[in-house]
Amino acid sequence: MHPDHLAVVLDLSPAHWHRPPLPLDRFLAHILVFLNAHIAARPENTLAVFAALPGRAPLLYPDPDAADQPPPADPNVYPPFRRLDSIVTARIAHELDSLTPDESLLTAPSALVGALTKALCYINRLNLATSQVDPRILVLSVSPDLSTAYIPIMNSIFSAQKLKVTIDACQVFGPDTVFLQQAAHLTGGSYLHLTETSALLQYLIMSFLPPPAIRKVLAVPTQDRIDFRAACFCHKNIVDIGFVCSVCLSIFCQPVPVCSTCRTKFPIKTLQRLNASRPLATPATPSSARPSPAATPAQPSAETPRHRAPLLTGEFAQNGASSQPVTNGSKY
Amino acid sequence: MEVSGRASQSRGWCVMPTTVCTAKASCKKLPGLLELTDTHLQWTQDGKKAPAIRVAHSEAASLFCSKEGAAQVRLKVSLIGDENGHNFTFTSSPQPIAVAEREKFKQELTAIIGRNRSSASAVAEARSKLLVPPPINVAANLPVSAVSAVSTPTTVVKPRPTAPPARPSVSRAASVVSERRATPIIAGDDPTSDFRLRKQVLMSNPELGALHRDLVMTGQITEAEFWDGREHLILAQAAAEGQKKGKPGQLVDPRPEAVEGGEIKIRITPQLVHDIFDEYPVVARAYSENVPNKLSEEQFWKRYFQSKLFNVHRASIRSSATQHVVKEDPIFDKYLEKDDDELEPRRPRNEHVEVFVDLAATLEDHEETGNEKDVTMQAGRQKAALPLIRKFNEHSERLLNSALGEVSPAKRRRLDHGEDAYSQIDLEDLHDAEASNGIVLEMQDRQRYFEARMSSGAGESSQPKLDPMAVLQETKANLQNWETRLTQLKIDRKSGDNALLGMTKDVANRLDGRVKKNDIPDGLLRQMTSCQTAANEFLRQFWLATYPSPGELPTVATPAQRAAKAAKMIGFISKTHEKVQALVQTAQQHGIDPNRVQTALKPVLQASDHALTFYRNKKPPKL
Repeated sequence: MHPDHLAVVLDLSPAHWHRPPLPLDRFLAHILVFLNAHIAARPENTLAVFAALPGRAPLLYPDPDAADQPPPADPNVYPPFRRLDSIVTARIAHELDSLTPDESLLTAPSALVGALTKALCYINRLNLATSQVDPRILVLSVSPDLSTAYIPIMNSIFSAQKLKVTIDACQVFGPDTVFLQQAAHLTGGSYLHLTETSALLQYLIMSFLPPPAIRKVLAVPTQDRIDFRAACFCHKNIVDIGFVCSVCLSIFCQPVPVCSTCRTKFPIKTLQRLNASRPLATPATPSSARPSPAATPAQPSAETPRHRAPLLTGEFAQNGASSQPVTNGSKY
Repeated sequence: MEVSGRASQSRGWCVMPTTVCTAKASCKKLPGLLELTDTHLQWTQDGKKAPAIRVAHSEAASLFCSKEGAAQVRLKVSLIGDENGHNFTFTSSPQPIAVAEREKFKQELTAIIGRNRSSASAVAEARSKLLVPPPINVAANLPVSAVSAVSTPTTVVKPRPTAPPARPSVSRAASVVSERRATPIIAGDDPTSDFRLRKQVLMSNPELGALHRDLVMTGQITEAEFWDGREHLILAQAAAEGQKKGKPGQLVDPRPEAVEGGEIKIRITPQLVHDIFDEYPVVARAYSENVPNKLSEEQFWKRYFQSKLFNVHRASIRSSATQHVVKEDPIFDKYLEKDDDELEPRRPRNEHVEVFVDLAATLEDHEETGNEKDVTMQAGRQKAALPLIRKFNEHSERLLNSALGEVSPAKRRRLDHGEDAYSQIDLEDLHDAEASNGIVLEMQDRQRYFEARMSSGAGESSQPKLDPMAVLQETKANLQNWETRLTQLKIDRKSGDNALLGMTKDVANRLDGRVKKNDIPDGLLRQMTSCQTAANEFLRQFWLATYPSPGELPTVATPAQRAAKAAKMIGFISKTHEKVQALVQTAQQHGIDPNRVQTALKPVLQASDHALTFYRNKKPPKL
C-alpha cells in the first residue's frame, strides 16, 4: 500500500468566523490533533495545508521558509508534531496579519476554489515526482455555497477525478453546501455536515482519518442524500430543471436562442417546444437535478420529486431527473 | 387460416397477370384448373370463378413429383412456413399429356424455387406476404358486384412480383383511422405485419410483454396508446427481419438414402436437380444433350449416379474408395474431365492478383535482402487434394458471386486504382488523425466563467453591517491561545457520544440495506412490481400526451385527442394511492412491516403526485 498524501483546506474566512459556534482556537486544536494523527499513522504520510481566505488561498504547510528556524522544543511534545503545529498556526497568524481590513474582507468570498485548485496542483506535482502516493483532499468549510463558483468547482471535481483524488468534505457549521456534496460524491469521498460541532475531532477521526484504500473494508460515515442540482451559467442560480446546450453542455435556466458560451444557434421550433414543455407551476420544493457534464451514475436521493423526463431529442437537453423512477422497488 | 381466407377474397385484383401455363388438375379430389401466372400459382375449382388456392411465387419452397409411370401424375408444392403445401393431380386424359403438362410446371416451378433460394430476401418477404392481405382489399371500397365483374383473368402487364405492390396510402390511412386511431404508422408497413412485429417485440422482451398483458389485455389502455412512443422498437424489429439471408454455402452432395442389398437409393427432387445443374454445369450440358433423345430422365440420373462423373463431383475423399465400384459409362465418360490436379488449375483465374495479397510474390520479392523461396506453400504437394481444393475454391467463388449479384467486373474491382504500388498500402486508417482536432470550443466572454462575483454581493447586504477591522481583530485574538487549547483539548462526553452514535447509525443503516434479506413473499413482490410498472406506464403516457412530441415521428393525435388521453391517464394515476394502500394492507396481512412497502413505493407516489399537481395547475390547452 502506498503512503497517503492528505491535503487539507481550511476555510478561514474571518467573516464566517465572527461569533462562530466553535471558537477558532478550539477548532484549530481539533484540526491539529487530527493532522498529527495523520502524520503519526505512517512515517511516510505527507501533508499539505491550505487556507481559504477572502480572495487568497495560501499554502500553510509545508512552509518553505520555516525550515531554517526550528521551533522551540517542548519536552512534552513529539518534535514532528510540535513543528507541524507551530508552522500551521504561525502561518495562519501571518496570513491574517497581511489581510487588509476593508469592505472586501467581508464581502469577498473565501477562495475555496483557489485552495482546492492549489491542492490539486500540489498533488499533481507529487504525482510527477513519485507515483507512490494515494492522494486525497479534505475540505473543512464554514461558508455557504457560492453559486457563482459552480463552474470552477465542477472543473476542480473533474480534475480530481482524472487524478484519482478523493475529495472529502466537512461542513463544520453553517448551511449544507450542494457543491461540496457533489464533489465528495463524484470523487468517492464522504461528506459530513456536523451536528455536534464541539465533537469535531470525533468526526474527523472516524470519518476522515482512514485513507480511501482502507475505506473499502472499513465503512466511514457519509451523507447518503445528495443534492445534485446545478447552477445555471446565465444567472448562476441553482436550478431544478435546466436546459443544456447540446454542443458545449452549458446549463441555462431557460431556453435560449443562442448559447452564450459557444454561440450555437438553436432552431426556433426547438425553443417553442422547450418553452411549451416547461413546468408551468413547479412547486418550490427542494428537488434534484444532476449537473449534466458529470458522467456519473444517477443516484437519485430518496426525497427527490421526479420531474418530467428531459426532451433529449432536440438541440437542447433538459437537465432534470428522470421521470422513470427506476430505482425504487429495489430498495427493500 | 388467414392466408386462404384472404386469398379467396383477392379476386379484387385489378391488374391481371400473364398466364405461363395451365393444366387440368384436381386438388383434394375436386376437379379444377391449375394455372401458373408470372406472379402466382393458382388453382380454380371447376365451375367457380375465383381461384381457391393462390400461392405467390415467392412462397414456393420446394417441389415433389410422383414417380414416372405411377398411376397418378402428382405434383406437390410445399410453401415457406407450410411444409404440407398443396397436392395437385394432373388429370388430362391420356396420361402422357398429363405428364408433359406436369413437366412444364415442374420446370417453371423449379426455376422459381431456385430464384427464391438465391434471392434471399424472399424468405422475409414471403413471411410478411403470408399475413398481408392484398392491399387492394383495403383500398378499393368497390361494391361487390364490381369486384366480381373484373375477376376473370385478363392479361395486363404487371410489375415484378417481388416488389410489394404500391399501396394507395390515402385510403389505407383512412381505413386505419376509422378502426383504431393513432396506431403508429410505419412507412412501408401495414396493420397485419405491424401486429406480427409487435408480437415479436413483446415475445423477445418479457418485461414489456408482462406490462402489455397487465395493461392492454386488461383493457386499461389501448394497443395504440401502448405503442405510442415505442415505435422505435417496431422499427428495429422490422429492420432486423429485413436483413438479407445469403445463399447457403453447402456443396451439393447427394447422400444415398437407403442401402438394400448393395443398392444405393438417391431421392431425386427437382430442387436437387436444380442444385446439381447449378453446381456442375457439365451435368446440365449432358442432360440437355441426352435427354430425352438418347436417355429417358430416369435412365439419365441412374447412370449419372453410377458414373465416374458423379464420383468426381462428390465433395470428399470417399470418392476414391468407391472408385472400383464405378462402371464404365460411354455416355457420361465423354463428359469426364481430367482430374484437376496439375500445378496450374484447369480453369485459370484470369484475374490479376494484387501484389500485396499475392502469396506467391514472396518468391521473387526482395532478392537483395534474401527472401527465400517459399517451400512451405507449394501447391500440389499432395496431388489427390488438389481437385478437392480447387473445387472448394470454385464453389466459394460461385457463392461470392451470387452474393454480389450482377455487378459489372469494372465496378467490382475497386482496389485497382491504376496507381502506383505504394498507394495500395497507404491505408487511410493508418494516417494520423491530426486533421480532426474536434470542434474547438470557442468560449465567449471567458472571464465570466472564472470570476466568482457577479450577483453575490446583493444577498449579503441584508446582513447586519460588520466592522471589518473588528472582525479581523476578533479572529486574530481568537487564534492567540491555540496552544493552551491544544494541551487542554477535551471533547465533551455527551456531544462526543452523540457524534459517535450518529455516525455509527449512518454506517449501520447502509450496512442494513446491504445485508438485509428480501423476505417479502413472491406474490406480494410481484404485485408491488406490477403496481409500479403500471404506474410508470401511465405516467409515461401522461407526459407523452402533455408535452409536445419530439418531432421525430409524426403523431396523428390532435390536441383534443392528446388532452383526452392525458385526462384518461390522470384518472389512472390518481388511483395509484389507493393501489398502494391496498398493497400496504396486504403486507400487513402477510405480517410484513407495511412501512417497507410504503417506502418502496414512495417514489411512485411522489411521481404520481407530481403529475397530478402539474395537471391541476395546467392552463387549459388552447384549441
